[in-house]
Amino acid sequence: MSNRDKLQSEATKLDVGSISRRTFMSRMAALGVSTAVANFIVQSPLGASKALAAIAGPEERAWELAKEMAAKAEKKTLTLLIPTGSIGNMTPYVDKWQNELGIALEFIEEPDEVVHTKGMQEAVAKTGRYDVMMPTAMSYPDWIDSGVIYDLTEWTETYNPELFNPDFGVVFPASHHAQLYNGRVAGLLNDGDQITLIGRGDYIEAKAKEFEDKFGYPLTMPKTWKQYYEIASFMHDPENNFFGSLEYRSRYYVKWMFMQRLMSKGRLYFDGDMNPTFNSDEGLAALEDMLAMNAYLHPDAFSFTWSSNYNSFGRGEGFMNIVWPSGYKYSMNPKTGPATHGKIAATVMPSDTLADGTELHAGLFCWGYGYAVSKYSANPELAYAYAQWMTSPTIGADAIPYLGGYSDPYRVNHMKDPTPRLVDTYGTPYLETLYDNMVNTVPDFCLPGGFEYQDALDKEIHACMTGAKSPKEALDDAARSVDRITRRVGRDKVKASWMALAKNLAGPIKKASGADGWV
Amino acid sequence: MSDRPLTMPLALVLALAVIVTLFPVFWIVMTAIKPPTDWNAVPAIWVPGEPTLVNFRTLFDPEALGVYGVGGVSEAATQAVFGSLLASIVATALSVGIGLAAAIAISRYSGGGRATPLVILSGRMFPPAAIAVPFVIIFSTIGLIDTYFGLIAIYIAVTLPFSTWMLKSFVDEVPKEVEEAAMIDGMTRVKAHLTVTIPLIKGGLFATTLFIFILNWSEFLFALVLSYTTIETIPVRLAKYVTATAGTLYGVQAALAVLAMIPLVIAGFLIQNHLARGMTFGAVKR
Repeated sequence: MSNRDKLQSEATKLDVGSISRRTFMSRMAALGVSTAVANFIVQSPLGASKALAAIAGPEERAWELAKEMAAKAEKKTLTLLIPTGSIGNMTPYVDKWQNELGIALEFIEEPDEVVHTKGMQEAVAKTGRYDVMMPTAMSYPDWIDSGVIYDLTEWTETYNPELFNPDFGVVFPASHHAQLYNGRVAGLLNDGDQITLIGRGDYIEAKAKEFEDKFGYPLTMPKTWKQYYEIASFMHDPENNFFGSLEYRSRYYVKWMFMQRLMSKGRLYFDGDMNPTFNSDEGLAALEDMLAMNAYLHPDAFSFTWSSNYNSFGRGEGFMNIVWPSGYKYSMNPKTGPATHGKIAATVMPSDTLADGTELHAGLFCWGYGYAVSKYSANPELAYAYAQWMTSPTIGADAIPYLGGYSDPYRVNHMKDPTPRLVDTYGTPYLETLYDNMVNTVPDFCLPGGFEYQDALDKEIHACMTGAKSPKEALDDAARSVDRITRRVGRDKVKASWMALAKNLAGPIKKASGADGWV
Repeated sequence: MSDRPLTMPLALVLALAVIVTLFPVFWIVMTAIKPPTDWNAVPAIWVPGEPTLVNFRTLFDPEALGVYGVGGVSEAATQAVFGSLLASIVATALSVGIGLAAAIAISRYSGGGRATPLVILSGRMFPPAAIAVPFVIIFSTIGLIDTYFGLIAIYIAVTLPFSTWMLKSFVDEVPKEVEEAAMIDGMTRVKAHLTVTIPLIKGGLFATTLFIFILNWSEFLFALVLSYTTIETIPVRLAKYVTATAGTLYGVQAALAVLAMIPLVIAGFLIQNHLARGMTFGAVKR
């Protein structure tokens, strides 16, 4: 009897009343089901059998489809284009696909900055060498428009991966920003990339009194950008190689530091007519904030990559850091965080005060890998089945904690009903923080020409941070570049896509930015 | 030129030049023998206290770094080393061979007319990135994508202008009269070039070969866009040493870079006498 059959059998027993809830919970635990998922099943008004089927449904439907397609497939290999460093979340399932389906999983690894280009290249080369492709959400518009990947909508309607389920779907609004293009499903998210703020919990305890005496409020992880600045200045101790914060000022990363601050001030990148809005008072204030923070940053901030940033923080070289969820994992691991493990506090990104006095909590959903299906795949439905199976609520929760991959929690159940392995990896408080931050995230430039937009902005923000341009010059130049891109790509086309993104912003962001008036 | 003793200022400049030139090599070699904990330590560790060959072992055994708790390397570099050797050696041999024939034809017989050298050079007048995608489309259509044959063909096309122009300048330096004398003695044109012209430009030929080999050996863009699963070269593999648990594997990258330097160092050492002559050939105008 398979594990799934045993689970179903226990659920049926609970439904007919032949076992108690307590017995059911203990048997679920024995079968490796987390308490939270077992609770979800027990408490569901659907009844245990249906609740089990609901949360396990996407996985099972995908597997049935995979079995059917694998039997029909002449080519018995499924080839995945993936970014280097991500393979660890996928290799644990290679044997299962080979042994039970006869499908060999083959991985083509490319540097992460090359994956988008390789996809665009496939649009013209049409080699059919890829079945599944793993881009970031920013790639979908260009890939769909160039015809290199399938619109997955019909498959998702048929096989229902439960992308939008409030209990175990992908957390809104990432469910829309990081998977849809113009309202159609372009890819299935497998990586909840967002930035959160982490800090040294041990220093908070040690310096509490001194800080409160100086600033007049208790020392905690900062709740606002003003507090972030003050705490960084207070903790900054360069003589002892300990710096206020480690946020990025390096090319490619620095735009996200700006975009996050801009969002916190209630500004988006464009208005309802695709005119840039970052060259505004809010944009200038965001850059001024960043320039002021430069005094309290790690000296390597201008050359940090994610790995050197994580390493520096793990060695104990700073009080705060703005990181992807993997940064938290690094810092909590004794090998990669020798000075920080067990000492990390975390919080959602700081808020800013709007003109009407409200505090706006905004997050930034940046990067975020997902699975797309190549138009030139010999077995597209098998490729889709793989994508749905890997990102199902159950397999997704199993895959994320494996080391050697980038995948971070993205479904509601990953954060609200985590498995014991997810709890071991992230800890319940941080999973809560991730959820609280994610519900207010604004996406990257997930638009046609997205990579060009982000590069144009990044270049100018970096020029400002290095002193090559004043904040106004940098933002005006970025606005001109962005306008050029919009004209070239087609204003109406980008606007339609922008409106689709704006429609699904979190309520407070919509209101603060005025987007609620456009859509 | 007189053999004047080196003055102190010149010696200092020379020493500075040697340090600047050799420092990156020193740093790469040291990084290649550092354990992961020392790769990007702050302050920097110049010479590792406990040198290790684990980075080199990782090139051929992806699990080797596991002893330091670093995983995520998924493939050995064997295919990349083989691919670089194959593509670079074959492409260099053909590029220099064809370039030499073209150089003699242009220099001695004005082959193709006066515009020919410029036409050949025009292949280098636009950036490789501009021709990469058209090549991908063409090669995909004719089934050459992800094949060594295709990669070698591109390498020849890209380096041929260099080899032709470099070799032409060397052939130009050989007096025509020497070949004509050989022909008067009964040699055919081909034999005269093989037995007279080519031996006289041996230094230039070696220098050109090494130069073209370096271009092919370090080429990244075409290898990247043309490769899927069948072919790989060292520069492409270098870019792939990034893992989720350890970030960029600087030590492993350095080890592969050291490995990549070896053929060039050996080749340079073996032909150093010819190289010095080749580099200065034609420096003095007659």
